[in-house]
Amino acid sequence: MTTELFNAEFATITGQLKSYLLRMTASVHDTEDIVQDTYIKAVGKLNTFRGDSSLKTWLFAIASNLAKDNLRAQKRWTENVGDICREEAMGNQQFFQEAMQIRATSPQGAFEIKEHITFCFTCISKSLPLEQQLCLFLKDVYEFKVNEITEILNTSEAMVKYYLHTGRAKMINIFDGRCAIINKEGICHQCSELNGIFNPKQKFQEELVKIEMAKEAASGDKEHLFDLRMKIVQEIDPFESGAAALQLHHLEHNRIVMEKYI
Amino acid sequence: MKRFITIITLMTATIATAQNGKAITEKKTFSRSTSVATEIKADPAIVWKLLTNAADFPRWNSTVISIEGKIEVGEKIKLKSTLAPKRTFKLKIKEVEADHKLVWGDGQGTRVYNITGKGNTTTFSMTEKIGSFMFPLYAKHIPSFDQSFEQFTADLKKEAEAIQNLKK
Repeated sequence: MTTELFNAEFATITGQLKSYLLRMTASVHDTEDIVQDTYIKAVGKLNTFRGDSSLKTWLFAIASNLAKDNLRAQKRWTENVGDICREEAMGNQQFFQEAMQIRATSPQGAFEIKEHITFCFTCISKSLPLEQQLCLFLKDVYEFKVNEITEILNTSEAMVKYYLHTGRAKMINIFDGRCAIINKEGICHQCSELNGIFNPKQKFQEELVKIEMAKEAASGDKEHLFDLRMKIVQEIDPFESGAAALQLHHLEHNRIVMEKYI
Repeated sequence: MKRFITIITLMTATIATAQNGKAITEKKTFSRSTSVATEIKADPAIVWKLLTNAADFPRWNSTVISIEGKIEVGEKIKLKSTLAPKRTFKLKIKEVEADHKLVWGDGQGTRVYNITGKGNTTTFSMTEKIGSFMFPLYAKHIPSFDQSFEQFTADLKKEAEAIQNLKK
């Protein structure tokens, strides 16, 4: 593959690569660094790329290795990240002032429930063991096949299936206990709280029924509700969406809080 | 010769039963040993992972209330079982042979897990031997492990096979 062709292909994959790395690291800065390092590393060993796998798989493998190096030294977040960061935000006037400024002035400053669901998933997924988080995103969000994930993570098919299954099971359990959208007994109401702050004229319940996962909540089928949640995550690019600026600001806040907390 | 054939037939029957997930208990004066074995249609690595992830046990294993600690050689774990929900068993991880053998226990007993197999088939067996010189004095107070062992094995089989059969 020529460098020109590689550059053109890399450009088409960069968007997905960036969103994947952001979801792994929760840091825009680290994401940009890893994307750049992925490019340098890939160009440096382009002569070793034989096309046995797709270029996308090959690049995700390089990026995943770099992300793992970056994350290995860091502690995993806790599943109550939402509660911890909410508590901190409540006492941080500057955070709200900045958020309101973004909401009022940025073309990517909208607040949408779906965006917050995605943001929330990113934060909570960081409580999973790293391998589970990687497998979950690679399969359920970026739609790699199990055999491609074995190449990306350099592990066996059995291990990919194990991490995927246990990661899903843990996330289903966490959301069932926390998320008031899918469970009336859920303890987390941040979507409605934040919607009230950023969209004061909007009626939360009217917005909620536009979301399939919320509409089907009464079914109680936890796995199906999880699949619907993953569909929402799949549809949103955290850098390009209409709410990106607001959510990235919120994510940076949570990252700083969690780094102190853990 | 006839007696020898009878013994061999009985042994074969016992092994066949054991691999069907049925527990067998052998009682002696100073000890009691319960064993169970089954065939699992899953990669041995999946079975091994399930058996060595302490915190995840209660999710798939209905006989375990909780396990605290790490399943690594020399580590101690605190196990709560449905067999004796009010007790916390403090057990030492005595032996770990990755993908093959796990042994834990305390002063009163030892449990051995064995995994053999290849590809998508695993033979799983579990044996617990309890006993001491004082065993005859308290033997009658220890409940049978049979049902719990069978449930443990059935849960492991179900979970491992569900993982094995995940969509590719």
